[in-house]
Amino acid sequence: MIRKKAWFPVVYMFCLTAFFSTIVIGFTQVTGERVEANEKLSFEKAVLAALPGLYEKNLSRLELHKRFTESVSPPDNFSAAAYTLRQNGQIIAYALPVSGRGFWAPIKGVIGIKADKKTITGIAFYQQNETPGLGAEIAKAAFTEQFRGKTISTDGPPLNIKRPGAVLGDSDVHAVTGATQTSTRLEKIINDGLEEWLSRTTTQGNAK
Amino acid sequence: MTAKTSRSKSIITEGLWYNNPVFKQVLGICSTLAVTNLVLNTLVMCVALIFTLSLSSFTVSVLREFTPRNIRMMIETLIIAFYVIIVDVLLKAFWPEMSGNLGPYVGLIITNCIVMGRCEAYGNSNPPAKAFIDGFFNALGYTFILLIIATFREILGMGTFLGFAVPYFSGPNWDKWIIMVMPPGAFFMLAIVTWIFRSIQAVKEDKAK
Amino acid sequence: MNELSHAFVVFISAIFTQNILLSYFLGLCPFIGVSREVKTSFGLGLAVIFVMTSTCLLNWLAYEYVIEPLGLHFFRFILFIIIIAAFVQFVEMVIERFSPSLYQRLGVFLPLITVNCAILGASLFMVIRDYSFIVTFGYGLGSGIGWFLAIIAMAGIRQRLAIDRIPKGLQGPGITLIIAGLMALAFIGFTGVLSGN
Repeated sequence: MIRKKAWFPVVYMFCLTAFFSTIVIGFTQVTGERVEANEKLSFEKAVLAALPGLYEKNLSRLELHKRFTESVSPPDNFSAAAYTLRQNGQIIAYALPVSGRGFWAPIKGVIGIKADKKTITGIAFYQQNETPGLGAEIAKAAFTEQFRGKTISTDGPPLNIKRPGAVLGDSDVHAVTGATQTSTRLEKIINDGLEEWLSRTTTQGNAK
Repeated sequence: MTAKTSRSKSIITEGLWYNNPVFKQVLGICSTLAVTNLVLNTLVMCVALIFTLSLSSFTVSVLREFTPRNIRMMIETLIIAFYVIIVDVLLKAFWPEMSGNLGPYVGLIITNCIVMGRCEAYGNSNPPAKAFIDGFFNALGYTFILLIIATFREILGMGTFLGFAVPYFSGPNWDKWIIMVMPPGAFFMLAIVTWIFRSIQAVKEDKAK
Repeated sequence: MNELSHAFVVFISAIFTQNILLSYFLGLCPFIGVSREVKTSFGLGLAVIFVMTSTCLLNWLAYEYVIEPLGLHFFRFILFIIIIAAFVQFVEMVIERFSPSLYQRLGVFLPLITVNCAILGASLFMVIRDYSFIVTFGYGLGSGIGWFLAIIAMAGIRQRLAIDRIPKGLQGPGITLIIAGLMALAFIGFTGVLSGN
């Protein structure tokens, strides 16, 4: 009997591994492009969502991509790291990508800012791995919608994430209930990103 | 024929009720309990589990005549991992948001004890068709318990069901039970569900006597 | 220095505020199954600390130097589990060879560990969270100790419960889960210990 041979388990294991691996590799090849496109698209979606009046919920993937390439210009010297939305060559709003360490994993997002560099037009996150149902709620509309129309404060930190139930000022939002750690880190990510960008763009503006 | 149908019927009731993976065997809760604070996440995880469990039990059973005993566990792990990877790839390609929400928990189905447990206890010594049915209904028995837990946790803790606001529970008169969204809520809900179902079973058994 | 302090923060929070068992539910099956006696729990817990720390580091190396360069992201599940299984097997052989007395105490628990989801879970979290080597060490060790603490505490409580009268439906897993819930609540009390960082 072939099965009694000492080498049989090794060969068997090898064949089986080869068989399953081939299928998996084939599978990833087929879906690989789509996975990559998904990653790019989720960034583009975040940029559109952060800018005013661009994002609609029911856009298809293709429409999303088209809208992004048509209306958003990539960062240039003047806007520092931010993408821009222009009308007749005039900047209407900036979309600033920010990232940093969340409680668990890196959080990446986009902040939309009006041309006056004071008003927030929106915020969106395209990568986070916070606890599902707790920290991960930062990516939901209930949290992000709060930012729309807030003002970047000039004294103290640009924006504050306050505990749920606290009285809110012009540049404050409520944190997600139960997600204290995520909120503290997120506040730092947003403020560090904003402060750095503001200092870069204003010094450039002065130089001009 | 009658003997055969009654037997496959008993596989069904075993998995769903008498030998339910959650409240009777208490196996394999780890990878899913963490996402039971939202019904949708739970549903996706459970569908992934149904897929993995039934197909890997089936595959183990198909290969059972050839697999050398001493490397049995390795082969089983390999087969389970194979199906889990397929689920993971599919989610990443076609539902990236969900893939992000579930994080590492999809991958953790590999070490979900119920999958390995059913492959070992049943798939290994039964024909493929029955192994498939056994796997499917065990996973289904698992699913319905976790959905009960998730439903209570989401409604009481967030006032929503599948993301939609539930009247009263989402209103201002209902003080949301934050504890339900947090980890202890999962333990308590699971304990309560186990308690209720085990008591029902005990009463039924007493009556049978 | 910054990396080190981050590693320390992760280490502490993996033990207390984000305990792998009590807030992530990983390793729940052996936790419920083996926590009847303090003595056995102690052995299993020690084995988990050791294996979790080592396999996290091994898997980190494998991820950094094999999976990442070759682009084999989808194979990480298989590679991780094989490394864990092989490592456990190896340790078992070494212990059996060199210290029969230790083998008597720990050996029986080692095979159980391969299917402990907490071990694979820690490795997967480490990859997703993009930890550096030193932080991974803190995370692996912290998670192991956290699991150890939880199972020891549980076993201590259960030993006392053994003679108590408990409703029939709650006996065994039911009451264990309720205690685990209370422990999770208690551990949440540690939240904020580290907010100074």
